[in-house]
Amino acid sequence: MIERIAHTHMKSQRTTPRAAVSLCAVVPLCENPPAMNIFDCKHIALGWLLLLNVAMFSSDVMAAEPTGAVVRFSTDVVPILTKLGCDSGGCHGKATGQNGFKLSLFGFEPEVDYDALVTDARGRRLSLTDPDRSLLLLKATSRMPHGGGRRLDESSDDYRILRDWIAQGATAPRDDDPKLVRIELSPREQVLATNSSQPLRVAAFFSDGTSRDVTRQAVYQSNEPNIASVETDGLVKTSSQHGLVSVMARFGEQIATFHAAVPFANDSTKMIAAQKQLDLLEPKLGTSSFDRHLLRQWRRLGVVPSSSADDATFLRRATIDICGSLPTSEEVAEYLADTRLDKRSRLIDRLLERPEYASYFALKWADILQNRGAGYSTSKQREGTTLFAAWIRDSLATNKPYDQFVSELLTASGSQNENPPAIWYRTVRKSPEYVESVSQAFLGVRVQCAQCHHHPTERWSQSDYFGLAAVFSRVGRKGGFADAEVPTDEIIFLKQRGDVLHPRTGAILKPRPLGGAEFSLDLHDDPRNSLARWMTSPDNPFFARTMANRMWAHFLGRGIVHPIDDARSTNPPSNPELLDALAQDFIASGFDVKHLIRVITSSYAYGLESAPHPGNAGDTQTFARFYPRRVTAEVLLDGISQVLDVPTNFPGVTAGTRAIELPDENVAAHFLDVFGRPARMSACECERVDSPALTQALELVNSAEIQRKLTEKTGYAERLAASQKSHVELANEIFLRVQARRPRPDELKAAVDFLAAEPDRAEACCSLLWSLLATNEFLFNH
Amino acid sequence: MLRIKDHSFQNCSGVTRRNFLQIGAPLLGLGLADLLRLDSQAAEAGLATSKKSLIIFWTDGGVSQQDSFDVKPDAPAEYRGMYRPISTTVPGVVLSERLPLQANVMDRLSIVRSVHHENGIHAPSAHWMQTGYFGPTLARNAAQKPSLGSVIARALGSHQPPMPAYVTIPKSESFGYQGAVYLGKAFNPFEVGADPNAADFKVPNLSLPNGLTARSVDSRRALLKTFDTLRRDIDETGVMEGLDTFKQQALEMVAGERMRAAFNLDAEDPKVRDQYGRHRYGQSALLARRLVEAGARCVNINTGNWDHHNDIEKGLDEHLPPLDRAIAALVEDLDGRGLLNDVIVYCAGEFGRTPRMNGHAGRDHWSDCFSVLLAGGGLQGGRIVGASEKWGGGVQERLVTPLDLLATIYQTLGIPLDTHYEDSSGRPTSIVGSGRPIQELL
Repeated sequence: MIERIAHTHMKSQRTTPRAAVSLCAVVPLCENPPAMNIFDCKHIALGWLLLLNVAMFSSDVMAAEPTGAVVRFSTDVVPILTKLGCDSGGCHGKATGQNGFKLSLFGFEPEVDYDALVTDARGRRLSLTDPDRSLLLLKATSRMPHGGGRRLDESSDDYRILRDWIAQGATAPRDDDPKLVRIELSPREQVLATNSSQPLRVAAFFSDGTSRDVTRQAVYQSNEPNIASVETDGLVKTSSQHGLVSVMARFGEQIATFHAAVPFANDSTKMIAAQKQLDLLEPKLGTSSFDRHLLRQWRRLGVVPSSSADDATFLRRATIDICGSLPTSEEVAEYLADTRLDKRSRLIDRLLERPEYASYFALKWADILQNRGAGYSTSKQREGTTLFAAWIRDSLATNKPYDQFVSELLTASGSQNENPPAIWYRTVRKSPEYVESVSQAFLGVRVQCAQCHHHPTERWSQSDYFGLAAVFSRVGRKGGFADAEVPTDEIIFLKQRGDVLHPRTGAILKPRPLGGAEFSLDLHDDPRNSLARWMTSPDNPFFARTMANRMWAHFLGRGIVHPIDDARSTNPPSNPELLDALAQDFIASGFDVKHLIRVITSSYAYGLESAPHPGNAGDTQTFARFYPRRVTAEVLLDGISQVLDVPTNFPGVTAGTRAIELPDENVAAHFLDVFGRPARMSACECERVDSPALTQALELVNSAEIQRKLTEKTGYAERLAASQKSHVELANEIFLRVQARRPRPDELKAAVDFLAAEPDRAEACCSLLWSLLATNEFLFNH
Repeated sequence: MLRIKDHSFQNCSGVTRRNFLQIGAPLLGLGLADLLRLDSQAAEAGLATSKKSLIIFWTDGGVSQQDSFDVKPDAPAEYRGMYRPISTTVPGVVLSERLPLQANVMDRLSIVRSVHHENGIHAPSAHWMQTGYFGPTLARNAAQKPSLGSVIARALGSHQPPMPAYVTIPKSESFGYQGAVYLGKAFNPFEVGADPNAADFKVPNLSLPNGLTARSVDSRRALLKTFDTLRRDIDETGVMEGLDTFKQQALEMVAGERMRAAFNLDAEDPKVRDQYGRHRYGQSALLARRLVEAGARCVNINTGNWDHHNDIEKGLDEHLPPLDRAIAALVEDLDGRGLLNDVIVYCAGEFGRTPRMNGHAGRDHWSDCFSVLLAGGGLQGGRIVGASEKWGGGVQERLVTPLDLLATIYQTLGIPLDTHYEDSSGRPTSIVGSGRPIQELL
């Protein structure tokens, strides 16, 4: 392998097109270069057969051979340091450096690196007179003790380039050096078989018109390493798993991404069979473009979706997802008896009109908007969090257009009483908080990295970060009760000025949205208005997509971009056409959130069963089945209260308040904490975790609270015990109430046998109820 | 859903290392089963085969170093304090006269007298000492980094489930800095929830609530087995598998004998119980030993409060003797059982106290230079690391940071120091950052 690379590099001055050394036989399925969209083919099965052919793809990359030529610091030396890992976050790239030698992270600041190598430590790191005796080379080759071990071989090209640079006088980066303009990755897209490999090639293009092969100098990263991993020389290797995978290549601050699909049907016979099954399915799908996009991807990957979920499952699923509640026994019976063909869409409409819809989604938004109660005197803050929670809830109940909702929030001024969304500014108060909250919540991107250094997997720089920070630099605060660090009841106003400086250059940065041009503003313009206008404009590339993706993830269990707030060219959507269609439709609807929910819940994917079959086993990306998830903390607790008909007594709030209606997160409830209620420290929905824990199980098994709900005199269990119902009636009723379905015959028999064998009827009812509440069927939305 | 980052960072040790230590569990819904798989991978690679455990005495509020581990007998009275120095089993090493029992086992203890960080407020300092990183200030006090106990639980797991890997006695400190944060809830501590010295000591989580009998638990367990039939292959995230494991663990803990036995202090010889001292610290230390023997990796005993701004003598007279006895008895007992090389004993708080007494006969917060105690686990005994200035105050020599302490502990436990875990933004975060093990103790 090493030899092959060296070979490529040494011959890199040749200008003839080259045939790739393909370790695996792969070919693009369509012949429409240069875009080569493998996914738009109509005859996938045929294309699959072509996959077995040998690929030839050409590259007209001109290579600049460093030998004898001038070695340039930024474009020749720094990439080697990056590739060798010298400037990684674990080594010399970390903020404190390593052993007194500090490089910029991933080489994003060559001038800093130049100083570190040439000027710092009194210049002892390089020996211009005897380059081979340079500390840099002695350490890297481990000829002198090096904590990082041996990173470089004396006979390698990298060594030679570093040595040549020193021998040439360790030339500093110059303004007229050719600048790296872009990189190109080939191929860009490919269908790959399982357990196969595909070499990637990277070409760099410079401002002086030259280009060269930098395959060996680029660094690579796979977003789904269990589907395909990538080696340091750009060789992508698929595993036995199926699905979509992207591999990022980075050279300098430029990034490019390779997209691969590994079909589920891993030979032509299976692919043809899958297509036949999908042909049969096609008439069942709705005519909506959304379902067409789903189907097209299933065809691409030869994945056959699961069957449709039964009515009882769908009712429970939608009631949980829209209202954060369980259906009652009556609702289940009524729904099962309904024979109308459009009963699913009627159900969605009904659910969207219930007050629980607004409460449940207000809880979600209160997390994202960090309506945080903890941290200072509850008596002083509860008024504010209650007002904010109510404003969010009212906005949802009245179906306030989403663009208006966000604009009112971002541009809020005044006191909490006259303008509750201003309370957002109570928790979000500093540059990093403005930038990161806005980016994550509304733009679906994580820019945190760019606070300190260029984002390693996206284009964001510190200028982008602090340009967005400048939008909020004139947010002023006055008044308020301030015996704590975060005052309550402040008045938000527009200050005359407020500057944000670039942390490195010290330049004053003008307010600027991510990836956009500076706003033109005068003293009287609130930059936040410009941001809101930019954000909510129909051609904004982030805003509608982020919301569409967020809601898709809410209902389907995974975003089309996943994680939902980490959109990057290097982390592409699993179904770009679907996401585009959803976003465009959301914009066209006037940012109508309920409409968006109707669209998503009426999709074919949302109505599927969660159980996989051989044709889609292992699918976690294409929505070919419903991905189950553990019911969230509040919904679970409310569900248990509903089943047992004993409310939870939350301290400090009105009796009878449900968990999804709590004014903020600072209401003591151990159950909620152990099941993942977030502390609202960031705008990331990932703060609400579903990771399993022993404390969760203990809470179910032997907490006083669950036992109280089971045994309360006025509760459901006691009422059942006191009733005259037969064992069969009891078992049927309990199943319907807990699992929102009728028991299967074996379940009915087991339950009846248990009730008959247990002398203490009350205890028997409790045990039966408890055991069902502890099943995964109850704990999950499936 | 396992997402293992390919070489998003390369280690500095020069050792080729797989990437399985870099996974963000909570963010990605990484299941317990995945983690167990990872553990076995780690074990194959020889990384998590450590048999060692850690017992922490957390001195909440901050112990006065000059009245305990770093006495200044020659300083003026307002610095020297109330206590006289006493000699120990290590020539030349003196302790406060309130630590006579530790003086007797000083050959097996080491003291770091030059711990330094740069905050004087309880919350951020408690965060700093327990996570290695500066923490949030008062008003917004949610933890930002995982505690050392959670890191240990994540990296090493329990020796013997159902015993939890990480336990706090009687419960976690009130700031909430003994938790797992982004490592995932599975790595939060199990809180004992009661004073082991209480006559009717029972673990609330292991004792059945009113009205629930062991027989009912058994029938519930049987019923759950009958009805918990949802197909497991519908969930690829590992959450369901994890919950299954924990439900079994919880039922075993509640209904089974092993856990109850581990927590049963009555099984100890009354003489041993007396040796540890019939007080909360002593019985907590004894319980910690039993839990470590039963499989726990990290047991954190919360002591104090040591925040003696007023009348420090009264406070220390109350708290130092039981702490002295608890630590000395634990070290001797572990040694007697041949366990001392497998169990690290660590005593630390968020900071020390001002070298000069204040006007209320107390001492205030002091993080410029303070002391911690380390023993066992194969660490050197009888060593004094670093020194404070003549009358206390600043570090005289060998500054030690909170991360250095964590690095020392992790290395001793067998956790690779280049372990990174992804925080909630996906950023790989080192467990030790710039910290380096204290070579003098290794």
